[in-house]
Amino acid sequence: MKNENKLKGRDLINIGIYGAIYFVILFAVAMLGMIPIFLPLLSVLVPIVGGIPFMLFLTKVKKPGMIFITAMIMGILMLLTGMGPWPLLTCAIAGILAELCVGSGKYKSAKKAVLSYGLFSMWIFGNYLPLFTDYEGYFAQRADYGQAYIDAVQKLMPLWMAPVLLAACFICGILGGLLGRALLKKHFEKAGLA
Amino acid sequence: MAYSSEKTQEKRRGFLDPRTKLALVLVLALFVMGGLGGDMLKPVKTGLSALPFLLLLIERQWKRFARGIVMLAVGYGLLFIMPYLPGALNYIALLCGGILTRFVVTIVMGEYLISTTSVSEFISAMERLHMPQAITIPMSVMFRLFPTIGAEWKSIRRAMGMRGIYLSGTKAGQVLEYQMVPMITSSVRIGEELSASALTRGLGAPVKRTNICRIGCRVQDGLLLFLCLAVIAIWILELCGVTLW
Repeated sequence: MKNENKLKGRDLINIGIYGAIYFVILFAVAMLGMIPIFLPLLSVLVPIVGGIPFMLFLTKVKKPGMIFITAMIMGILMLLTGMGPWPLLTCAIAGILAELCVGSGKYKSAKKAVLSYGLFSMWIFGNYLPLFTDYEGYFAQRADYGQAYIDAVQKLMPLWMAPVLLAACFICGILGGLLGRALLKKHFEKAGLA
Repeated sequence: MAYSSEKTQEKRRGFLDPRTKLALVLVLALFVMGGLGGDMLKPVKTGLSALPFLLLLIERQWKRFARGIVMLAVGYGLLFIMPYLPGALNYIALLCGGILTRFVVTIVMGEYLISTTSVSEFISAMERLHMPQAITIPMSVMFRLFPTIGAEWKSIRRAMGMRGIYLSGTKAGQVLEYQMVPMITSSVRIGEELSASALTRGLGAPVKRTNICRIGCRVQDGLLLFLCLAVIAIWILELCGVTLW
């Protein structure tokens, strides 16, 4: 029994495949964040769009550890793309929570899968954390974007936005999960992928 | 006596060790793109920014070099003409210029890392860093897949554009469905073929894999790693409140 739960080469490669798709989509959407108005909206858009590949990924997850590894890899990639070390922390927490949630449904329950994607999506909050932990420093670093940009972001991102963004990640994660499930039924099951 | 394949491997050996490249990407991402550090690091950052372009020249990647330089030039050009532009255009130019000058360098470095490192080199470097397989295998699959997914997405966008489905033409929901679903489907198919071929070559097998790639530290690696350490040292000194210049 113990041996069956060990991650094999194929599982790890699956993590790579779906992680790559998720990251490409995330990156394409995140480019919008350059425009100030989209910066807070990313916590809405990324979880919803990312839900499509992630729900497909969850159909391949049958063993503990796969979601946690995906989350950690996202953290490492965020570090490499200049988002700083905070996402690593939120990825670890969100990954463990999502893992426990799917695990409690024995990797079969569809409801638990949607909920777990909501929990997983909370890692995105880590990208906003440097803004809230060091409010002054964050804007000092971005001084070369121009005062207009800073004013716009400061207006959009007062400190009380922090819990709102976290909640938005979770709620939109669940919405994204539902969207992912719908597309799963409509397309991927027919194509024989799920 | 050396095997002929060993000789080819020696010839094919990259200019830098993959670990050095990773360290450089990390330092550039943290300091140039992430904007860590204050005024004292400014000259250091300018020096660092030239590094990926130099590396591309050494590896004779003319195309990437030219593209990077053009983007950087556009960025600085925007910053330069910014004061002469009227009203709103001024802000847009400043924002675009700020983003381009900050991001291009790290993107070029990332491109350099991906285009000049083969998957086996990457895996063998990661093994020597004692990274667990659970991280190295997905990461190497990802690095292999990124360009493929990009190409797939491009051709699907083109095909859908022919049918009148593009971002400005139709509803966003439709674009999402008709572009993402085929993109995911074909990427997963490609990924499955890749996984079959990797498994036949023993990736993820319980035994320790051997690797024919030659990697290791040479003079240039030592120099660049020292540079990375120096940047971090200057940053720490700055945090402690020491002024060097």
